[in-house]
Amino acid sequence: MLSDLMDSWIPVALSQDLPAATVMPVLAPAGPLALWRSRSGRATASADRCPHRGMRLSHGFVRGEALSCIYHGWSYSQAGTCLRIPAHPGLAPPETIRVATHPVAEAGGIIWVAVGEPAAEPPRLDGLVPLRSLTAEAELSTIEAAAGATAGPDGLVWQAPNAPAVRLLLVPQRAGETLIHVLVPDGCATSERIAASRAVESLRRTAEERQRKGSRHAA
Amino acid sequence: MPREAMIDEWYPVGLFSQLDQTGRRTALMGEPIDVALGADGKAKVTDGNGRALPVTVRYGHVWSSLGEPGKDLFAIPEADQPGRRLVDVGVVRVRCSPLRAVENFLDIAHFPFVHTDILGAEPHTEVQNYKVEIREDEDEVWATQVQFYQPQAAKSASGGITTEYMYRVPAPTCSILYKTCPPRPGEWDVITLFVQPLAEDLCDVWPWMALYDDETPMTDLIHFQQMIFLQDRSILENQIPALLPLDPGMEIPTRADQTSVAYRRWLKRHNYTYGAQLVAQ
Repeated sequence: MLSDLMDSWIPVALSQDLPAATVMPVLAPAGPLALWRSRSGRATASADRCPHRGMRLSHGFVRGEALSCIYHGWSYSQAGTCLRIPAHPGLAPPETIRVATHPVAEAGGIIWVAVGEPAAEPPRLDGLVPLRSLTAEAELSTIEAAAGATAGPDGLVWQAPNAPAVRLLLVPQRAGETLIHVLVPDGCATSERIAASRAVESLRRTAEERQRKGSRHAA
Repeated sequence: MPREAMIDEWYPVGLFSQLDQTGRRTALMGEPIDVALGADGKAKVTDGNGRALPVTVRYGHVWSSLGEPGKDLFAIPEADQPGRRLVDVGVVRVRCSPLRAVENFLDIAHFPFVHTDILGAEPHTEVQNYKVEIREDEDEVWATQVQFYQPQAAKSASGGITTEYMYRVPAPTCSILYKTCPPRPGEWDVITLFVQPLAEDLCDVWPWMALYDDETPMTDLIHFQQMIFLQDRSILENQIPALLPLDPGMEIPTRADQTSVAYRRWLKRHNYTYGAQLVAQ
């Protein structure tokens, strides 16, 4: 679904999973990203590599409105410019030292990262609220087959047994791996949310089992 | 073949004190090797075909080579000084290039962030100028007059001090650090990093020390050094690319990285490229 579009928004994480002053690794078609939220609450998607010594920035730390590399503490702004090199506190880092950043949109409790230059805003998922994310060791198409439904631009609608209908946003990760964001109707009771969560876990197991059998046949 | 120029070097392949006649299966630059104690009490190293490889035992370790070493293993004269405690730290396996492991050892700017409150602490992050040279006679990289503020420079240190360091690279995967010795001003503690290249992106790191410290229990000395190297491992296994880039453009050095710059230049000059990436990708 989403990855087939050249210029589109990818739902990389749920807002609730990225508290202020934290950083997490996410995978986008552009490659690995360090997704971080500044102390004031703004989310930024930076390339997950410090240009100094190649360290993953997703292992770093957030202070104030900047992301710092855990290796030598080089810090980067939301625009990607290098703000500080602690080994040389008196030096203003040259403009040329920077990390690539990707546009981020946050709406309805979902953090979207732009691929290319999408003309429109991310899809609006009215009436839905995020529940949780999980990763399945299965291809996107295997999850569709397990759910008996196909994902469109607004995700996949799945009528889980004994649970409210859920919306799944499926994001391909590394080969054979898919990130699943689960959304439920706004106003669901706690018991319904628990039922939906368990139903999606069961769907994951079914998809992973199909994937294992499929790859055994292929082998 | 990237290993060609490095094939005649000596590499650490195990601790002599840990050898037994059963032997230990390990690897050197992608080749399986066996390291064992012979019936004569001497270390024996054989390759996958049973061919006997060169052996030397020095600094607590067994050293070997897939090629024909043209010279003896580098000298560490301080190791023979009386009164030092020789510490076999053991081994840390790291999924990284052996050259990246050495480069990290040569770096002090990471102390406040990776070895926080031990080898460094904010706000003492500044790296003062120091001297770096490639000593042509010895064909070694040297960094001298390296100074850094350290909250706990050694197991024997109590409270912060400004530590002085000297670094030496006598072989492509080995480095020796000389460091201010808190109990004995005027002398240097010796801490080495001997790296066994298992593959271009996998290595066994064998730290070894020759210290003036009669007080600290051996277990504590080993734990201290292992803790430091485990902290380094969390960095080394997460650098991109895994191989050390020798061409400029892929990474950005600053003045604090002079030792690394000289090390990379020296590697390139000798074609020591096992574990290196030559063209920026």
